[in-house]
Amino acid sequence: MDIYVQLLINSLQISAVYVLFSLGLTLIFGVMRIVNFAHGEFFALAALLLAVAVPWLVGIGAPLPVAFALAFLGALGAVLVLGKLLYEFAFRRFQRDMIGSFVLSVGLALLLQGVFIEMFTGAARKLPTLIEGTVRILGGAITVQRLILCLIALLVAVAMCWAIVSTRLGKALRAVAEDHEAAMLQGVPYRRIARIGFLIGTLLAAVAGALLAPVVVISPVIGSSYLIKGFIAVVIGGLGSIPGAIIGSILIAVIESVGGYYFDPSLATIAMFVIVMLVLLIRPTGLMGNG
Amino acid sequence: MASRSRALLAAAGACAVAGSFFSGSDFVSSLIIWVALNVLMTASFRFVLLMGELNFAMAGFVGIGAYAAGIATTLYDLPLALALLLGAAAAGLISLVVGFITLRAKGPYFMLISFAFTEVLRLIYTRIDLIGGNSGMVGIFPPAYLARYYPTLVVLLVLLFLFILYRVERSDFGKILVAIRNNDQLVQTVGINVHLTKVWCLGVASFVAGVCGALLAHGNNVISPGDFSFLLAVYTLAYLKVGGEAHILGAVAGAIVLTLLAQYALGFGAYEHIFYGAAIVISVILLPQGLFGLGQRLALARRRPDSRD
Repeated sequence: MDIYVQLLINSLQISAVYVLFSLGLTLIFGVMRIVNFAHGEFFALAALLLAVAVPWLVGIGAPLPVAFALAFLGALGAVLVLGKLLYEFAFRRFQRDMIGSFVLSVGLALLLQGVFIEMFTGAARKLPTLIEGTVRILGGAITVQRLILCLIALLVAVAMCWAIVSTRLGKALRAVAEDHEAAMLQGVPYRRIARIGFLIGTLLAAVAGALLAPVVVISPVIGSSYLIKGFIAVVIGGLGSIPGAIIGSILIAVIESVGGYYFDPSLATIAMFVIVMLVLLIRPTGLMGNG
Repeated sequence: MASRSRALLAAAGACAVAGSFFSGSDFVSSLIIWVALNVLMTASFRFVLLMGELNFAMAGFVGIGAYAAGIATTLYDLPLALALLLGAAAAGLISLVVGFITLRAKGPYFMLISFAFTEVLRLIYTRIDLIGGNSGMVGIFPPAYLARYYPTLVVLLVLLFLFILYRVERSDFGKILVAIRNNDQLVQTVGINVHLTKVWCLGVASFVAGVCGALLAHGNNVISPGDFSFLLAVYTLAYLKVGGEAHILGAVAGAIVLTLLAQYALGFGAYEHIFYGAAIVISVILLPQGLFGLGQRLALARRRPDSRD
């Protein structure tokens, strides 16, 4: 019994990060019809900046929690600036050009990854523990730090979903995602909404990266493995669909933790790929997709 | 195409064959093989793009061709011609089955399936001990009497398959592919089976990819699962984008220029990612038609003053 609880807890904590990550991916696809392969690099940059800034801030005398808070905000700001630059100089010209934008984003992902390897060197980094201790829930164990990070991720995801469902901006985003021409006819400023949507997606990737940074080993190539899984999650759910992204992320997290426990990680990855193929065979546009 | 440019092309092809024949060092001959195979892989990738799909499974089919040919040569001692044919046939036949199942999805969905296919194959290779698992297969040599002429053989076969792909593209079948990219529902309404056409398109491209894999295995003598990751297809995409996708010669130009430049750039250290990434980004933003488009524009600009008087 304990082992099932433990697996459930593991799945939940992995899925919290995947949800944030794939929400951004699906949002960007929804508003701009761009399959953004560079999304993982936003995530990696946030984690890397945190890994560099926290020891530095501690070194000049800041207390650990303050260092974390400052580095967190700094990392989000830096990623937003990068996202804004990429949007203005590159992605803006490739809206609704699926192949062109995809090729562009593959190039950007390679370029950014190479730059990160040069800037941060290939060495893996680990952050100091912010909060010590472990709690037991229903017989499963989880460190307090992970629990808090999970709760924050969950909070952000819920806030994001609420915003998309009920705010004016969220309605505009959904309208554009469904049919951008009809949205424009209703007076929705498409260009502005696309830009905001892209930046929100970027920010979500950065939050996911910054939240994950304290609990994993960080390397410059961390973005690509999350990108592939996030991508699978979004495709299973249906590109552009918010509930689809959430369902897909949870499914991927369960496969990863259960498969990784009973078999080994590479079999779990094969299983993920096979499941995505099966889902697409039965529903060629994902579980919740409408083409 | 004017007969003059056709003659120029034939001359260039002949030069490539002659050059490969007289290549002195091992380094030069392996570089010639690598450039020629990159050209053909790019042409295969472009062939599926004719119907509007990004086919990352190309890398997977190159891998199938390489492993099938490697098994034929090392485990069963079959002659080279048979090994090449087996590699190509394995890739082509498997692609027909895979295509029949997966080509119902399109756009980003097909792209991800093809990507997943490549990665699954790579993971499967690492788990089979018969083909060397993680460390791969060794000792895939062409027969001794051919070793001296192997680069020439590769160049000749690459030229042959480029010509075949070009002819198919110009045939009615090729025109249907372009029509499918523009509007598949319209093609369906005139009674053409879109699904089967797409499957055949993938089959032809994968047969060619299998040839590439088989030639690559015998050229490198060593293959390992890591050689056939999706990055292989991403690099091909870079060649195509830099060269220009409007014409098969764009694929040829991009693969030659970028492969040679990369050889040069690698002398400076591990900048491979930055190099390919920057090449893609710069050419997509500044040169949307690629080198081929640039050449065409230059040719037009030169011709225009004549036509005025």
